[in-house]
Amino acid sequence: MENRKPVRAVEPAEELQVMPSASAVSPQLVHDPNEDQKGHSVPPQKRMMASGMSEAEAIERAKQGDGGCFEALYGMHKRRVYSLCLRMTGNTAEAEDLTQEAFLQLYRKIATFRGESAFSTWLHRLAVNVVLMHLRKKGLPEVSLQETLEPTEEDGPKKDIGAQDQVLAGSIDRVNLERAIESLPPGYRIIFVLHDIEGYEHNEIAEMMGCSIGNSKSQLHKARMKLRDLLKVTRAERAGIRK
Amino acid sequence: MKMGRELTVTKGQDAIATATAEAPNAGGHKEMNCAEFQRDLPLIIDSGGSVLQEEHLRTCEVCRGLVNDLRYIADQAKLLIPMLDPSPKVWDGIEEKLKLEGPIKPTHARRSL
Repeated sequence: MENRKPVRAVEPAEELQVMPSASAVSPQLVHDPNEDQKGHSVPPQKRMMASGMSEAEAIERAKQGDGGCFEALYGMHKRRVYSLCLRMTGNTAEAEDLTQEAFLQLYRKIATFRGESAFSTWLHRLAVNVVLMHLRKKGLPEVSLQETLEPTEEDGPKKDIGAQDQVLAGSIDRVNLERAIESLPPGYRIIFVLHDIEGYEHNEIAEMMGCSIGNSKSQLHKARMKLRDLLKVTRAERAGIRK
Repeated sequence: MKMGRELTVTKGQDAIATATAEAPNAGGHKEMNCAEFQRDLPLIIDSGGSVLQEEHLRTCEVCRGLVNDLRYIADQAKLLIPMLDPSPKVWDGIEEKLKLEGPIKPTHARRSL
């Protein structure tokens, strides 16, 4: 958990805008409030609320039942929790429901947060568990988790043997990568998001998913292979359009 | 992107796990082929490979291209940052349920995550 992406700072001025406007009804593409003006990271403990209160103080007050501080914590962390839910499910409505559920669980459990890990780490693990629980209820793709490292006929790395193709380097943009991730089969997508985006280690993923470390590595590899195929198709289509 | 950073050193359990695929035969040094290399790739790409795997990677353009692509995808994924805010209705829903649940009651933690 130590190699997580750093939680970036929230500018006080931006924090004033964290409360959602009642008129907005859909997710909006907005500037990341976790980035400061220069895109520099600031340690989480130094993040300040609009009132000048630190995150740690807000957590303590929220533990005592201060709804305003809980709302401020929601404002600080909603984007990353929502992104996690959206990437893991690939579905906006589900992601919103799960974001809501994650923060409700936070509300119920915040008194148990003892500061042994960063609050953001604790919250995101809670959110991952909420998503995984939901996916299990829906019928998480357990089959793929039971796969071994033995290559299958329909997927696996061997199809690349002997083939030579143009490399991807330099050809991926964020939008195409996000789309490709969204179109991954759920079992692949979950492990790719947890490992390559969220920064969880294979042993952590194995524990959360109830699979072996080898399975986690295998699924991640297949996810990357599938993404490679998808991104090459996208690139070829774009090249075709240009002709 | 530089090649082979993760695959340059033989170390850890991954290398041990793959050692059977590359043991020298009675005639001496056995070369690794693409099938063997790609079979082991899920285990070694992020942690490091053996001398034979490294050697194969150095000499095989196809496998080198594959590893480059996979690392490029992983590197690009690390750069993805959260871009979207949830709809305001998410907080509205939370607020509504919180009103029903009442104020947070401080409790003693059984266990912190």
